[in-house]
Amino acid sequence: MKILIVEDNTELLQNMVTYLEREGYRCERAASYDEGFDKVMSYTYDAVLIDIMLPGGNGLQLLRELKSVRPETGTIIISAKNSLDDKVEGLDLGADDYLTKPFQLPELQARIKAVNRRNNLGGKEIIRINEISLNTQTREVFVNDTLVDLTPKEYDLMLYFVSNKNRVLSKQNIAEHLWGDYVDQLDNLDFVYQHIKNLRKKLVKNGAEDYIESIYSIGYKLNDRLSRA
Amino acid sequence: MKLITRFIIIYLTITVIVLGIGGVISYELIKTEVDKELQFEFMERIDRVAYLIERGRDFHRSRRGREIEGDQNLIIERLDYEVEPRIEVKDTLIWHDRLEQNESNVKVSAYRNINGESYYISTYGAMIESDDITEAVVKTFLWILGLQILGAIGIGYFVSGPLFKPFRESLKKIKRFKLQEKQYIPAEETGVVEFNEMNAFVEEMTRKAVSDYENLKEFAENASHEIQTPLAIARGKLELLSETELNEEQYSYVDSLERTVKKLSRLSESLALLTKIDNHEFDNGKTVNISEFIEESISQFSEFLALRNLSLETSVEENVEVYIHPVLADILWTNLFQNAIKHNIDGGTIKIKLTREKLSISNTGRKPTVDPDKLFERFQKADQSSDSIGLGLSIIKRIVEQNDYTIAYSYSDGWHTIEILLNGVKGNQLQN
Repeated sequence: MKILIVEDNTELLQNMVTYLEREGYRCERAASYDEGFDKVMSYTYDAVLIDIMLPGGNGLQLLRELKSVRPETGTIIISAKNSLDDKVEGLDLGADDYLTKPFQLPELQARIKAVNRRNNLGGKEIIRINEISLNTQTREVFVNDTLVDLTPKEYDLMLYFVSNKNRVLSKQNIAEHLWGDYVDQLDNLDFVYQHIKNLRKKLVKNGAEDYIESIYSIGYKLNDRLSRA
Repeated sequence: MKLITRFIIIYLTITVIVLGIGGVISYELIKTEVDKELQFEFMERIDRVAYLIERGRDFHRSRRGREIEGDQNLIIERLDYEVEPRIEVKDTLIWHDRLEQNESNVKVSAYRNINGESYYISTYGAMIESDDITEAVVKTFLWILGLQILGAIGIGYFVSGPLFKPFRESLKKIKRFKLQEKQYIPAEETGVVEFNEMNAFVEEMTRKAVSDYENLKEFAENASHEIQTPLAIARGKLELLSETELNEEQYSYVDSLERTVKKLSRLSESLALLTKIDNHEFDNGKTVNISEFIEESISQFSEFLALRNLSLETSVEENVEVYIHPVLADILWTNLFQNAIKHNIDGGTIKIKLTREKLSISNTGRKPTVDPDKLFERFQKADQSSDSIGLGLSIIKRIVEQNDYTIAYSYSDGWHTIEILLNGVKGNQLQN
């Protein structure tokens, strides 16, 4: 998958590129409005990430230009401003998602995958992890064709793991993904542990391997290359 | 005390003192002048008597010639010895029969040698009694004082009325001045130098205050936005770091750093939000059905309630509508609800009550350690060690103020209650 990242802050750009390239994405960079404009006009991308505040212009304008020539491109706006107006305008212009800095890289990756799924796969995708499969349209999880009865939160958690497989996700990170702004409440992140415990139990009960590894009881990782005897 | 009252008091005090001194001086001057006239009169009379004696008129028939020349007080005595001719003028006290008191009189005595004989001629009297002088002076001065008082009151009315009008106008404007409205007070021409100076100063000062305030707000907003990018970088680096081979200790440091970064970011977001509210960015409200709003949020919070084993009692009147910016309504309610969960005890209870007049949320919890009046101030935390950033309640308060609601907090018998009076009904006993 080919992604263009338009972001003037090189460090932040580097973070995103490093993280996404590990996933196997091909990332191109643009550090200014003009550079970004040049690239979106010349090439096609599966997804374009656009920062709103850019040297030489506004990211929303770039989005407008992009949508006028290639409306099918998946777009995510990245902004330092948690501004409702920007968000509404961005989404009105056809952006697929809106992320506020400081976002989490696993969250970014999950959003890119969701955008890609929606735009390129018509929202339909069956994601497979060995014997487990996720139907993203019906939001169902199967283990060897047996439907696993998951709560919506557990499904979200599973999808998040799958979107970031073989990566470490901290409890904090998971909590933010699942509850967003309400995460303030989670003074103790045992709540995350509860959800993960339930998810694992349900998967194992239906005959799946336990792919979710606990990392020093601080974070978790869905490891599909599990080599258990 | 009003300036004008004080002015009148000072003015009248001075007037009384001045009139008092003036009265004494007037009395003395009048008395001196009258006495002088009397002396001349008496001397002339003595000269006339002396002249008559010289001409051979005999006053001896009556040794004390009281009837002479119509002057009852005239005394003429022939002396048996030689005298040096001289005149003596004295003030003397004479018993006044009618007034039954001693009266100060002028007495002129002359020693004369007439036709080889020595005479003592003397007379005394008072043209005006000193009491009469005093009375006249006091009366005059009381009249003056009375007129002065009337004048002072008249001036007082004038001064506090039309003359001080520009001052009062300026004062009214200064009182109405609100920094948040970002409107400076323009100086108006008054025709009075002092007032003009004051108004010019007020204009300059308010202009400066407004521009400083704007700069500060802009700075606060920019700063909180600018800080998000570095935080995003830090966060990303930590996430990349957590994917390298870390041992447990290293990983726990990374995790703790991640949380700190998140907290920092929340803090600056909250400050930006407060700034935005102060900057009236949420002034365009619309009608929000808070009954529905609350019902919806309860399902969102249900997980958190379950986690802490909290029970919920609600009494929500249907279709309560208020006029508020939806974003603010969301933030307000979320903060209130979160607060009730956060400061609750495990297995506790939350009570939500909504009527058309009032929204109240109560929760069980430990006794507050912070002075309840300070609870709504920024960075006041019920528990200093807690992970919260201490801005929740001040955000609630700003939203409440912005919408002319009234908020009050109370604690009794293990229940914390926050009450918000809706529809701008300015509570009195609940006024915080």
